[in-house]
Amino acid sequence: MENMIYAENLRKEFKKIIKEPGVKGSVKALFKPKKEIIKAVDGISFSVPKGEILGFIGPNGAGKSTVIKMLTGILMPTSGKCVINGQIPQENRKNYVREIGVVFGQRTQLWWDLALRETYAVLKEIYEVPDDRYKQRMAFLNEVLELDDFITSPVRTLSLGQRMRADIAAALLHSPKVLFLDEPTIGLDVVVKENIRSAIRKINREEGTTVILTTHDLADIELLCERIVMIDKGKKVFDGGIEELKHNFGNVRTFAFELTNPDDFSKLDYRTKYRLSDDDISVERDKSCVTVKYSTDKVSVEDIVSYTLSAVHVKDMQIKDVEIEEIIKRLYRREVEV
Amino acid sequence: MTGVKRFFRTYRQFTRSGMQELVAYRANFICFFIGEIMSAFIMYFVWKAVFLSTDSETFMGFTMEDMVVYLFIAFLTGYLTYSDGAFAVGEEIVDGSIAFRMLRPCSFEMCFLFKELGSRIISIAMIFVPIVAGVEVYRFCVTGEVRLDPVCFGFYLLSTAIAYLISFYFNVCYGYIAFFFKNLWGTSLIKETLVGFLSGGTIPLAFLPAGLATVLNFLPFASLAYTPVMIYMGMYPIGEILWRMALQLFWLLVMIGVSKLVWNSAVRHLSIQGG
Amino acid sequence: MRRYFRLHRIFIAQYLKRLMEYKGDFLLGAVGLLFSQAIQILFIGIIFSQIPRLQGWTFEEILFIYGFSLIPKSIDHLFFDNLWMVGYRIVRKGEFDKYLTRPVNSLYHVIVENFCVDAFGEMLTCGLLLGYALPSLNLPFYWYTIPVLLVVVVFATMIYTALKIMTAAFAFWTKSSGHITHMLYMTNDFSKYPVTIYNKAVQTIITYVIPFAFTAYYPASWFLTGKDPLFCIGGTVIAGTVLMAIALFVWNKGVNAYESAGS
Repeated sequence: MENMIYAENLRKEFKKIIKEPGVKGSVKALFKPKKEIIKAVDGISFSVPKGEILGFIGPNGAGKSTVIKMLTGILMPTSGKCVINGQIPQENRKNYVREIGVVFGQRTQLWWDLALRETYAVLKEIYEVPDDRYKQRMAFLNEVLELDDFITSPVRTLSLGQRMRADIAAALLHSPKVLFLDEPTIGLDVVVKENIRSAIRKINREEGTTVILTTHDLADIELLCERIVMIDKGKKVFDGGIEELKHNFGNVRTFAFELTNPDDFSKLDYRTKYRLSDDDISVERDKSCVTVKYSTDKVSVEDIVSYTLSAVHVKDMQIKDVEIEEIIKRLYRREVEV
Repeated sequence: MTGVKRFFRTYRQFTRSGMQELVAYRANFICFFIGEIMSAFIMYFVWKAVFLSTDSETFMGFTMEDMVVYLFIAFLTGYLTYSDGAFAVGEEIVDGSIAFRMLRPCSFEMCFLFKELGSRIISIAMIFVPIVAGVEVYRFCVTGEVRLDPVCFGFYLLSTAIAYLISFYFNVCYGYIAFFFKNLWGTSLIKETLVGFLSGGTIPLAFLPAGLATVLNFLPFASLAYTPVMIYMGMYPIGEILWRMALQLFWLLVMIGVSKLVWNSAVRHLSIQGG
Repeated sequence: MRRYFRLHRIFIAQYLKRLMEYKGDFLLGAVGLLFSQAIQILFIGIIFSQIPRLQGWTFEEILFIYGFSLIPKSIDHLFFDNLWMVGYRIVRKGEFDKYLTRPVNSLYHVIVENFCVDAFGEMLTCGLLLGYALPSLNLPFYWYTIPVLLVVVVFATMIYTALKIMTAAFAFWTKSSGHITHMLYMTNDFSKYPVTIYNKAVQTIITYVIPFAFTAYYPASWFLTGKDPLFCIGGTVIAGTVLMAIALFVWNKGVNAYESAGS
């Protein structure tokens, strides 16, 4: 399949002036500013085939937004290159951005004081959408994002959920080939989140729009993305499908059980029994319920269960498969070797 | 005594933060200052041209030397007595953060006052000293003698301090009222222009028609700039200085009273709106 | 090009809709500007109540120069006011991102997004001043007076706008540059009076460094006296063109250096 997005060795450095505290520091900064180079993005390469939904994840400050901003042409890469839809974003920006749609969840591109409908009328002109196409498109977006309830309200009166739907519609008005979504579900309630996810899926399926999204909500990833790229401290730490992620790093199992007698908890000592370190096992207890998360490399399911059953009386028990959240948590904490 | 000590301990932090803020934004501060003082220099050149165009030594009782002193000291006084309270209050009312102010166990106005005092201390060092020095060097060069009268200067400082407090309370009142207009830029422009005119900051009140000048002299605005500047210039005998300053104190009390009234009604209004 | 005119119309229409919603604000702004100009003119009036001429210029001539200075200033104010926001807020808060993701020139987009009808306060003052001064001045009128006036106004406005574009663009490197715009912009007040009243240093600065003298005094003096057309009119054209070329260059460099904000 042809690549819609192709990034090679992208780098972005920012210069930051370090200020020492106090008056002395300010004076010093005035005459001899101490500069530090921050590598926000440090050599990232990846590609996205046409029609794919790619999840872009990483802890706060990892450089996700910086990558998105380079791909959308907002920022100039310090080095490296990216080609999207056969174009280099920074080279012919005006032409390039016609084919892309961008949503920054934390910021709106709608005109604050105007009725929502007016924003679309202005965008129609900016993107030169023909009248009939515009009508058709608005009808479609209406259906997918349910804009009708608030399309005549001034943008400043919209709730966050309505505003986000309106923003996504604004980014899709000109039928872009690539849609960039930077935290599209931030701060939204579950119902709105689901509404937005299904809209993204629908647009991706029906129009073959390539979507690249950053998020902190792992449900977004599990429900939408075929593939994820994870970055941390400006570097790529994982690139692959969700199944692959589970397979490669899914050496974690959860064993949860309920004690008949809560006092029995003190009888359990997995660490000494199997000589495990804190990295390999974690035990949490809430009254009579105990949750044991352990690494399958170090100890088998059978061992854990049989040891538990022999040591204490158990009312109820459950063995859970790896949760993606757990893997990602570990990846963020750098507990898993990549 | 402990009450006073406690009072200053509570608000000292605000003064410090005001100072730090000004230091942090010193580039902005200096640029704004240069932009503003430009108008005083334009006036200086205009007056120079006026005195070159007339045979008389004086213009409506002012010599060129008086005019220069008036221009720059009026500018300085206007700068020192300028209060940002209106914008601070107005913005907090609009974005709702005023609610947090009410949660804190300290007086709303005092927080602003002490914060502004902090920035005032820095601006005195950066602006007051150079302008006064410049004016006095100019006077020395023109007349060949030191003209700064220490008594007048002392009264000037006192009078300017009172003027600042009047301006502060006036602007706090204005800030509450501006909230109802919801427009700070337009109304501020009108207010600044009006105050600049009525206080004699733009044109010496003595240049206005006699009847108008007398009325303006009694209004609170003259207390903001005209009174301190005339004191600095030694235009008033000691008796007049004292009664002018009494008038200033009177207006200060009136402003404090009005600001309390407006604040109380603003609080009621806020609670009706639900903050 | 036609598309840009069309867009401009749309933006003005949208702006007028917004205007209707906040009528009071704009009225207050315009009244404020009118008022602040009125006080300055009162000041000139007081001066002329005591002297017949200011360095050879009559009251009417001074009012003409003053009024003339408001033409390019108010036009720039009306159409290019949003440039202030670039230096104050748009770049610092990362709001500039939006303009870069649209298939329209970013500078154009920022500019058309807002208009400042407060400028009508200045335009009204300007009209009143010229309306008062012109009849008693008896200026010579030629067939080329109006075309020259139009050319001068265009290039004089360019001087204002270019200066704002350039200083606004500094924000791309420094995050915030409103104070620099303010500092340079304030020198425009020098242009309200004849340059001859200033000393050599000031004259040089406002003629060759920050050429605000070309926005009012020089062209106005040509209309008044007919002397030095090459310098007075040609200078305005050259100053406007050169400044604008530099401004656009700085802006384009700045856009590439833009660092956005946040994570």
